[in-house]
Amino acid sequence: MTEVKLVVQRFDPFKDVKPRMMEYAVPKREGMTVLDALLYARDYLDHSIALRFSCRQASCGSCGMKINGRPRLACYTQVAELGGEKVVAQPMDNFAIIKDLVTDLESFFEKHREMMPYLIRADSQEMEKPTAEYVMKPEELEKVLQFTYCIKCGLCTSSCPTVATDSKFPGPQALAQAYRYIVDPRDGGEEKRLELLDDAHGVWRCHFAGSCSFVCPKGVDPALGIQLLKRHVMTGKGPRRDSEAAKVWTAPATTPPQT
Amino acid sequence: MKESILMLVQYATAVAAVALVSVHLIMQGVIYPYATAISFNNILSIYTNGFYAVFLEALLVVVLVHGFNGVRIILSEFRQTKPWTSWVDAATVLAIIVTVAYGTRTVILAVFGGAPA
Repeated sequence: MTEVKLVVQRFDPFKDVKPRMMEYAVPKREGMTVLDALLYARDYLDHSIALRFSCRQASCGSCGMKINGRPRLACYTQVAELGGEKVVAQPMDNFAIIKDLVTDLESFFEKHREMMPYLIRADSQEMEKPTAEYVMKPEELEKVLQFTYCIKCGLCTSSCPTVATDSKFPGPQALAQAYRYIVDPRDGGEEKRLELLDDAHGVWRCHFAGSCSFVCPKGVDPALGIQLLKRHVMTGKGPRRDSEAAKVWTAPATTPPQT
Repeated sequence: MKESILMLVQYATAVAAVALVSVHLIMQGVIYPYATAISFNNILSIYTNGFYAVFLEALLVVVLVHGFNGVRIILSEFRQTKPWTSWVDAATVLAIIVTVAYGTRTVILAVFGGAPA
């Protein structure tokens, strides 16, 4: 049976002074993901390895980590696709380490929350007790659709060079979500969000390295969202709601089918 | 001032600088003989042309505003505290004013035929 050499960065901030690398020999099998290899190591070789995971199908975004130097989801990365016999697993950059491969995502989610990732409308009563649907044309949906695929795994933020140096920078995930809601024809919270974004540490600090889009496991292009957001802030143009689309559509009364 | 306005200034001065520097390089490298282009007397004679003096003043302002605003952006990412940001903003404005004033002094003195000290 062939084996893969799994190298895991170990660090417990309460005990260790600095991280150390530990090697585990894991039996390789067809279709094995890095998460499978890590779970094998944890279950059979070293129970003290700390890692976070949940869905095992690239939906929950829990198992984000740096694999062979690149931020990836462990459940979405096959050992075979990495080539070679060595897999190096490290915690994501730009986040504090809780233990081993588990990072503290609190600031990440806080920045996401700051962008008010929900529809803001004046007709709050209609939102609470809807009487009809909000109109959204297919072409308007297309403008925001890819950004709705974000699973908040944090890989984009861990790869962002600006996040590494500017702690106040919202990061690619939060900015892309801000764009997603600003251009949503059903939303009316543009001014509130732009107040946060048009700041010395806001959207303008993105220098378009593009690494966020490169590492996104869901094919989202946060770098594109940020550039479109810049254009929107600068010109007030770009994909924008039209007044008709923001209105509530009232379904016409239908007659029951005749039998 | 809103960051978007400062960035608009940054982009506008970048575009203007490309145009002005291009004209400047063409003048110095093609129209004037290259060998004497940066000689003291040649430069002084250029300033006596009113149109070119205005052009050089515009080049001075555009490049300095763009350059110092760029440094401000880099420094503002360096630290995230409010005092630091305020200090950087103030230093940027001061640096632009001082350097533009000194450069303008040079242009004015040269226009009127005096060699700047």
